[in-house]
Amino acid sequence: MAALTEISSRPRDRHARARALHWALAGVLALCCAVSLQIGAAEVTLTALLGKWLAGEPLTMMERVVLFDIRLPRLAMGVMVGGALAVSGAAMQGLFRNPLADPGIVGVGAGAGLGAILAIVLGTLLPVWVTDIAGNHLVPLAAFFGGWGSTLLLYRVSTRGGRTSVATMLLAGIALGALAGALSGILVYMADDQQLRDLTFWGLGSLAGASWAKVLAAAPLVVLSVGAALVLGRGLNGLALGEATAAHIGIDVQRTKLVAILAVAGATGAAVAVSGGIGFIGIVVPHLLRLASGPDHRMLLPNAALLGASLLILADVIARVIIAPAELPIGIVTAVLGAPVFLWILLRRRGLVDL
Amino acid sequence: MRLETEDIGVRYGRHEALGGVNLRARAGEVTAIVGPNGSGKSTLLGAITGTLPHAGRVILNGRDVAGQKPWELAAQRAVLPQATRLAFPFEVLEVVRLGQQAGTAGGRANVPMQALARVGMAHYAERIFQDLSGGEAQRVMLARVLAQVWSPVEAGVPRWLLLDEPVASLDIAHQLQVMEIARDFARAGGGVVTVMHDLNLTALFADRVLVLSGGRPLAFGTPQEVLTDDTLSRAYGCTLKVSRPPERADMPYVLPHHGQLTGA
Repeated sequence: MAALTEISSRPRDRHARARALHWALAGVLALCCAVSLQIGAAEVTLTALLGKWLAGEPLTMMERVVLFDIRLPRLAMGVMVGGALAVSGAAMQGLFRNPLADPGIVGVGAGAGLGAILAIVLGTLLPVWVTDIAGNHLVPLAAFFGGWGSTLLLYRVSTRGGRTSVATMLLAGIALGALAGALSGILVYMADDQQLRDLTFWGLGSLAGASWAKVLAAAPLVVLSVGAALVLGRGLNGLALGEATAAHIGIDVQRTKLVAILAVAGATGAAVAVSGGIGFIGIVVPHLLRLASGPDHRMLLPNAALLGASLLILADVIARVIIAPAELPIGIVTAVLGAPVFLWILLRRRGLVDL
Repeated sequence: MRLETEDIGVRYGRHEALGGVNLRARAGEVTAIVGPNGSGKSTLLGAITGTLPHAGRVILNGRDVAGQKPWELAAQRAVLPQATRLAFPFEVLEVVRLGQQAGTAGGRANVPMQALARVGMAHYAERIFQDLSGGEAQRVMLARVLAQVWSPVEAGVPRWLLLDEPVASLDIAHQLQVMEIARDFARAGGGVVTVMHDLNLTALFADRVLVLSGGRPLAFGTPQEVLTDDTLSRAYGCTLKVSRPPERADMPYVLPHHGQLTGA
């Protein structure tokens, strides 16, 4: 986080600072990855393994399993989920023109969760050819459709003539979250024992179930959604001026909104499908970046991917070591760190939610 | 080259807000749209800019705007709305750059600062837009619009400034400054269509005036022809007296006459 405090003074050209920050954040992410591989319940450290590798000694079976089957897939999932959550937060805030719009807060995460639970519980009822084609992607895809539906609904309800009512958005988000939660609850009652175990594990919000299979299941959706979000920079900058003015400066507003909604749903859906509900990354990361280098989405979106991945990996390290050998669900760590930041944003800018 | 409307009509539900407007605005001139509140001035501009769904056609530089992409239109015309609410804390210079990227001055790095200097806001370049007063924000938005169509004529084709009450929140000195910017743009070959409230500023700066009343065109012509006691009193529904100062007989100015003063 040293990179963030260094540039807290007002820079002369924020765009140049944002570019510099981009490389700094890439370095931070590499560092976080190394820390994540270094630390864990087993007495295996990255530095020791590197030493062995340099000396030409073979790794033991245990060391291979810990590194390649436990820590690396968990790291890969952390990078994907953190990046996806932060980018979907930034894109959603741009779409709704409000820094409080976060998929986790306004019910999109709950909608994606409903999709995932539907797939887990009722997936066995689908025709075999569907499950054959979808395979491991079934749950992420269902979460994507759940997220998509709830984003569309939320946008329809809270936006009139290109202007989003913050009050309506937040209240509709509460209703949407409650509805998705209730429907999910019904499904939980229908679940059998094995499904129930899957659901409980999943619902806590954790990277603990990480495996290469899960990483590969979510990767296509994450790559597509984050990739789509990264090209939205100019369009979301235009939308900041309002829909009419965005069109006047040459933005294809309808296409920008469509891509933004799909990207938000895809990134949220994939993240929720593999890791459950991990909150506050999507709101805290873009906010910190706006403070550091301004709201220009062309740099905000890629920087959010890097910082989101770094923060989630760090939170995961904390979740793993703080009560070792047991571990906390990561959702608890991000909530403890993120909720106060959210309140702080509200305190500083109460005008944001003046109803 | 012209900006023309053919039989423009706008409905809000069952209410016809605007009907039968045929505007002919020429490049090289400032065309003002005036009329009382609710007469359809901003509605007409909204139809011209494509913000409002409307009947009829809008022809810009000889081409129907209906089939053109947003970025094609953005290279030909810039639009200044009455007020802009910006969603995130952009700096003033960043806001102006948003306009520049839309136009064809894209590569010229110094255009945004020149545009800010033109509206007298260069020293505010690093301020946060939301911290500005209403008048300052409006001038920054004008700079954004200017940066979008920085050259009034590009490759022989005029470009257009479409302004919705550009001087509404400005003091008198800045009202004159903004109207001079608009006139200079027109004198350099560009086209300007502006919604105006102030009839005297209109008389000073407009080359053509369209008077709207009740969503219908009432008169169109030079300020000399249009700004008359009869037309204005009919348009605004009160007694208005147009005078001409002895030293500038070509420049009408409009005085409101209170009923008791005129004995009406």
